[in-house]
Amino acid sequence: MRVLLIGGGHSAYFAARAIREIDPDGHLIIIEFTREKVEMLSRTFPSAEVLFQEIDRVEDYIKENSELLDAVIAATESDSLNLRYCRVARENAVPITVSILNNPLNYEIFKKEKINYIIDPYRVITIQLFEILGAPVNVVFSSLVNNLEIASVRILNEKLLHELRSALDKHDDVIAAFVSRTGEISSSPSSVSLGGSAYIMGPREKIEKLLQLSRNVVMR
Amino acid sequence: MSISVIFPTKNRAHYVKRAVRTAFKAHRVEEVIVIDGGSMDDTIRIAEREGAKVIVQSDLIYPGKGIAMRDGAYLASCDILVYLDIDIRNVTPEFIEKLAEPIISGQAEFVKGCFERAAGRVTELVAKPLLRMFYPELAKFRQPLSGEIAGLRKLFYKVEFERGWGVDVGLLIDFYKLGARIVERDIGYKDHDMKPLHALTDMAYEVAAAILRRAIRDQKVDPRWAEKYMSGVRAMDLGLESERGFV
Repeated sequence: MRVLLIGGGHSAYFAARAIREIDPDGHLIIIEFTREKVEMLSRTFPSAEVLFQEIDRVEDYIKENSELLDAVIAATESDSLNLRYCRVARENAVPITVSILNNPLNYEIFKKEKINYIIDPYRVITIQLFEILGAPVNVVFSSLVNNLEIASVRILNEKLLHELRSALDKHDDVIAAFVSRTGEISSSPSSVSLGGSAYIMGPREKIEKLLQLSRNVVMR
Repeated sequence: MSISVIFPTKNRAHYVKRAVRTAFKAHRVEEVIVIDGGSMDDTIRIAEREGAKVIVQSDLIYPGKGIAMRDGAYLASCDILVYLDIDIRNVTPEFIEKLAEPIISGQAEFVKGCFERAAGRVTELVAKPLLRMFYPELAKFRQPLSGEIAGLRKLFYKVEFERGWGVDVGLLIDFYKLGARIVERDIGYKDHDMKPLHALTDMAYEVAAAILRRAIRDQKVDPRWAEKYMSGVRAMDLGLESERGFV
């Protein structure tokens, strides 16, 4: 895999580490704007090709190399730059465009630009706190590409279990997996006990409806 | 030459419609950019509806004026960038045209706007004395902290944006150090909100730190002296703690 990673800050560092782990033999190109960081990145990731580029030359680099790239990951410290670079990558048919947000408030703005993947590093805080503190429902992943969503519902009472079972029976396009309180995974709702969780996946609107139903039952 | 107009803003729903519309009326303006600081009101929605490109500043710090200005420069695509405060009640297209004119006519690469009023307190009591000490060539500017500026976009990629209130004087010094030709243009009367005195302490600190940091960088102050005697100043504000690791 040939991946272009842009940036030299925290996000880029962790992205580079992940890419190396996923594909140790792949071609990783890192672009940075300061010579000091280029040097540091070269030492930290010796098998990567680390390039110094001026901020306004990166778009030309993407255009010139778009046919060779499998993915562009914009992970600079400015959401403006990330948006610009992902936009050019998308316009030049790079198969995968990823932007790592600096400010989660930009999520909707990036979504409108049809960037394939928008990573909000702060999202994990919400997801994990919801799990740890026992929120009844939690959106785990929302796909921008095909409008599907994965969510978890904690089975807090019999009423919720009953409502969820009958709702799932009605929606063929929603699939579910159940995790019991003791950690067994099953595809059958009948094997779920109170305190376990249901993981549901389907079209976003339907998942949102099921989550609302679950909230209503829990609040009652 | 085309112009991008950039408005750093936060919770200014009341002003944004007029500001964006006025900017689009100015000659050569091809894009208007609103950089939002995390507004809780309708600023973003109105700006988008009026045809501005909108993004939320990358780092939600306060004051984040410098971050917002940097993000504006990074999002812009025209030849000339014009920055304006969004809360100027009497803003007209001429504000923008006057700021951009010296660049279009080839007289300058960077323009500082100034106004028909006495300069502010931080300007007179902090910025001007420090500029006179370290950058006497820049002491002639009437309003070195003015946020109404214009410059060639490509040069904004070569300067350092302070994060907060020090950004305006920082840009002035950095453009000067780049060798850019700088002029000051009187753009008339500016009707906008003034900050109360108590709100100026942090602003004055950041302006002073921005100037001192550059004075150290440009070897006008011995960094060892600064480290030893300026113990009340955060070392990072003076650029004395070099960034290590992936920051």
